Amino acid sequence: MSVLEVSNLSKRFGSLVAVRDISLTVENGELRAVIGPNGAGKTTFFNLLSGFFAPSAGSIAFDGRDITGVPAHRRVGLGMARTFQITEIFPELTVFENIRIATEVAADYRLRPWLNRAEAADLRRRIEETLALVALSGKTDRLVGELAHGDQRAAEIAMALALKPRLLLLDEPTAGMGDQETYEITQLIRRLHKDGKLTIVLIEHDMRVVFHLADRITVLDQGSFLAEGTPREIAANEAVQSAYLGKAA
Amino acid sequence: MLQLIFFNITNGLIIGAFYALMAIGLSLILNLSGVINFAHGGFLVIGGYLAYTLTPYLGFWGALLVAPFLTAIIGFVVERLLIRRLYGRDPLYSLLLTFGLAFIIEDGTRQIWGAQGLPVSIPPALASPLSYEFFFITGYRMFMVAMVAVVVGLLFVLLRYTRIGVRIRAGTLDLETVAALGVNVRALRSLNFAVGIFLAGLAGVLASGQLGLEPTMGDGLLMPSFIAIIVGGVGSLTGTLLGGLLIGVASGLTSVFFPSASEAIIYVMMAIVLLVRPRGLFGEEGMMT
Amino acid sequence: MTSEQWKRLAVLLVIWGGLIFAPYWMPLFGGYTALGSRVLVLGLGAMAVNFLLGFTGVLSFGHAAWFGLGAYGCGLALKFVALSTPLGLLAGTLVGGIAGAILGALLVRRRGIYFAMVTIAFGQVFYYIAFQWSSLTGGDDGLRGFARQPLDFKLFRIDLLHNDVYFYYFVLICFAAVVAIMAFVLRSPFGRTMIAIRENQRRARFLGIPIELHIWIAFTLSCFFMAFAGALYALVNNFADPRMLHYSLSGDFVIMAVMGGMRAFWGPLLGAVIFVVLQDYISSVTVNWMSFIGILIVLIVMFFPRGVLGLLRQRSTA
Repeated sequence: MSVLEVSNLSKRFGSLVAVRDISLTVENGELRAVIGPNGAGKTTFFNLLSGFFAPSAGSIAFDGRDITGVPAHRRVGLGMARTFQITEIFPELTVFENIRIATEVAADYRLRPWLNRAEAADLRRRIEETLALVALSGKTDRLVGELAHGDQRAAEIAMALALKPRLLLLDEPTAGMGDQETYEITQLIRRLHKDGKLTIVLIEHDMRVVFHLADRITVLDQGSFLAEGTPREIAANEAVQSAYLGKAA
Repeated sequence: MLQLIFFNITNGLIIGAFYALMAIGLSLILNLSGVINFAHGGFLVIGGYLAYTLTPYLGFWGALLVAPFLTAIIGFVVERLLIRRLYGRDPLYSLLLTFGLAFIIEDGTRQIWGAQGLPVSIPPALASPLSYEFFFITGYRMFMVAMVAVVVGLLFVLLRYTRIGVRIRAGTLDLETVAALGVNVRALRSLNFAVGIFLAGLAGVLASGQLGLEPTMGDGLLMPSFIAIIVGGVGSLTGTLLGGLLIGVASGLTSVFFPSASEAIIYVMMAIVLLVRPRGLFGEEGMMT
Repeated sequence: MTSEQWKRLAVLLVIWGGLIFAPYWMPLFGGYTALGSRVLVLGLGAMAVNFLLGFTGVLSFGHAAWFGLGAYGCGLALKFVALSTPLGLLAGTLVGGIAGAILGALLVRRRGIYFAMVTIAFGQVFYYIAFQWSSLTGGDDGLRGFARQPLDFKLFRIDLLHNDVYFYYFVLICFAAVVAIMAFVLRSPFGRTMIAIRENQRRARFLGIPIELHIWIAFTLSCFFMAFAGALYALVNNFADPRMLHYSLSGDFVIMAVMGGMRAFWGPLLGAVIFVVLQDYISSVTVNWMSFIGILIVLIVMFFPRGVLGLLRQRSTA
């Protein structure tokens, strides 16, 4: 059973059609990159997947279960975690506190008035594990708002990981980053994919990152499906090249 | 009985027109700038008192014309100096600011014009009723409704057909895009605020002819304006207009059957709207969330 | 203990020391014990509003409604049900808290200023009812004819009515109990979700937190705290009146929280002290205290939005 199955998904804002009739399937353990020129509807597509808003038509199935009408926070509970194009974190809290909130929700503690000693210790252990995964262990007491851009992204990814997701949606994780930070984030995502065996869907503009990481690539253009295939197939695809003609690759 | 009902509906429409005038000004400011203008009642009072002070020099009609403009200028200055600095911040601060301003205005008018209620005289031509049958429709009340209709009509025309009007409407929906298109958003907001305050000032002049003048009169008219907006639908000026009329009529009708509840009914209507159709009668989905 | 912990302990000692010995040092500055009771209760109200505003990031500008309901509930219980102070407190707290819980469910889908707007309007509903239903509430004159009853512990009685000092300590104990509950909730996993919602609602939602539910819970808790404060206030004055429900009181509570510092736990109490002392002093000197408060509000909003404690915090980290 595939992790994600999208059928004929569309989203209309008034008379503007942002996403038109998109279908795709993501298998367990796959890393799928979604690319396309600006305005292709990639972030809108993510917003539909994560439940930010409801589709105008079509359906989404997650692990075989129809989640089209399921609200965003519940999709998280089902195993879908996402990051945003503009990093969404808790800026005036420390790294530790950021991850703690995510971990507490994942552990179903969010309505609890207190934790006993064993639970608190276990929580701490889990937080430290997550921080180690993204190499932020040395910065636990820093305010996230004061970290470098790359570290903030890593913290956001850590929060998503703390939720123990089945599917990780990353919206332009390397946006606004220099070469060094891009390299580090790319390595992180690779580790999560290969070692952690996470299923990941990734929006990216940086083609080096895309070709380095992706198992398969889906190309969108002006809200519609354009092409899908392995990196090699996409690189050779003429329609894709002309869609990108004049745009940076 | 029928005549009684008719009497009260007409009364209700007149009051409703008044609520609508206040509420539309409030709504304009709320929609474009995201500011709940607690001082709106205060500007109403300023308008009334300014008209009172100007009447000896300009006569009733002169004062009616000039006072709202003066009030609008005061509003413009306030927006420019104070409110403008708070736009980027949490809406809490602009709310608190207008809240504080309301205090200052109330005490200020008390200081300048005294705490006693002041009588306001209207031209004899307007004071007499239309006819024996319709004794309750005095010329002044007709005049009030006519003024409201004209001004609101002008406003809608302005919003629909002039460039500024279109920009205000667009700004209500998506301020970022409007700014990106090169419109001077700050000036737009200031102007929009001034228009809203103009309406409040006008309401004050009109009200004073009916109710006299008192430093605290703005307070009692602020709440119905809020409710008109909630009932009519946030984000929709037409909705606010109709909301104002609706609650006015409801209030009028209720006073036939349950006189003591005629004020309460507007709160009940608000509660019903919030339960059944939270976005308001004409509000757009997603405006309040 | 770390220096951070020493500092916190010192602050707590100062605060509680000041509060416990208030009847003794207040007269030195021209104060009197009953004023202290008043400050404590209003401070509790400000802290209740701040539970929602400073710690969940949700602005309610109609919170005086629950305060007033608590006051009327307490007064009505004392007047018509039984001559028992604890019962009055309980009745007031339940009336205000439950009303808040029910209405909160209606309001919770709104956001930002629209939420504030609806809370203002709803608050006024209760003001209007208190005003109109004069057969029950005494209308504009307020609810009278009740007084705080002595506490009867079978072996001895504590006269709360005539002894200001005893009453002050009673209020202080009540205050301490509620404040302890507030602190406890804020330190809990649930409390952390409140802070998450304040910091970044979108991120909180996409971590799996059901925002509406958590806001409703925080709202309800703050209504119960508020109602308790209102009930205490009825006991302070032996009197309840519609102004305790009016949105201008709601505004006062918000001002106290902002003035003292929204992000600090004790900020609203400090704000209440400043506000009450200023109001007491200014209205004895001039008739224009409204202008004064108005100007103060404008100044704070424009130049000191972080309040006293916020300012101190900035200084210490700079």
